[in-house]
Amino acid sequence: MAATAQLDPEVDSRLDAAFTALADPTRRAILARLAQGDATVNELAAPFAMSLPAVSKHLKVLERSGLISRTRQAQFRPCHLEGEVLDAAVGWIDEQRRIWTERFDQLDRHLRDVQRAHIRAGHPADEENARDD
Amino acid sequence: MTDDMLETGTLTYTRVFDAPRTLVFRCMIAPEHLTHFWGPAGTSTPIESITVDARVGGSFETVMVNDADGSSYRMRAVYVEVSEPERLAWTEPDTAMTTTATFVDLGGTQTEVRIHQTNVPEPFRSPEAQAGFSTSLDRFAAYLAQRAGESTD
Repeated sequence: MAATAQLDPEVDSRLDAAFTALADPTRRAILARLAQGDATVNELAAPFAMSLPAVSKHLKVLERSGLISRTRQAQFRPCHLEGEVLDAAVGWIDEQRRIWTERFDQLDRHLRDVQRAHIRAGHPADEENARDD
Repeated sequence: MTDDMLETGTLTYTRVFDAPRTLVFRCMIAPEHLTHFWGPAGTSTPIESITVDARVGGSFETVMVNDADGSSYRMRAVYVEVSEPERLAWTEPDTAMTTTATFVDLGGTQTEVRIHQTNVPEPFRSPEAQAGFSTSLDRFAAYLAQRAGESTD
């Protein structure tokens, strides 16, 4: 299943989980480590003054969000960063940015049109005239 | 004219318009204005598809129709703040996304509009979580830059 940035409820809820998972410094540090390659729980826990169960809890949140996956069969179950989920979240951000950039461009044009029409009609484009609907 | 992302817990887009604040605000809540600019490029937003009940708890709905293939996307939202002419905010229940538009009078006839978006579910919308969300997105971009520069697989 490819992760995309479409306005699909399933993808939206995945993104929601991804953003929630990212709202924690430990989990972000774990992801930074995994960006360099797969790692076991022990390897991931090493830089933190934190118990293994505490780190495991963070890994569960990351796993649920789809940002990481863990091998089922291998003894040490290395964690793997899921790049496509990261890409989907970045795609979502880009899409939102595009929408608002284009919306602002169009609003800018519309405001010029509206104010020109007011001036043509002999009204200065002041605040009172802006309320005339 | 700037489009700044990743500021204070949200995605942020800012633009300065050459128009008085009252007019800019009216544009954001009047269907006869919204129909002219709401849909991004390549889409249109028919006026009859726009519902605006500009009060807290009131509906804000639009249908954006793709000009090329006729496909449409319905946005369903509920206003959570209506403070004319300073601030307008709505939440989309389907995505838990809240958009806040702040209108700043820059004097003369210039108005700055700031759009803040959060996609964070309500229980996480504490100031601490907001800060975390912002930082996470900043680092997120850094991760990707890092990933692009390495062979990870």
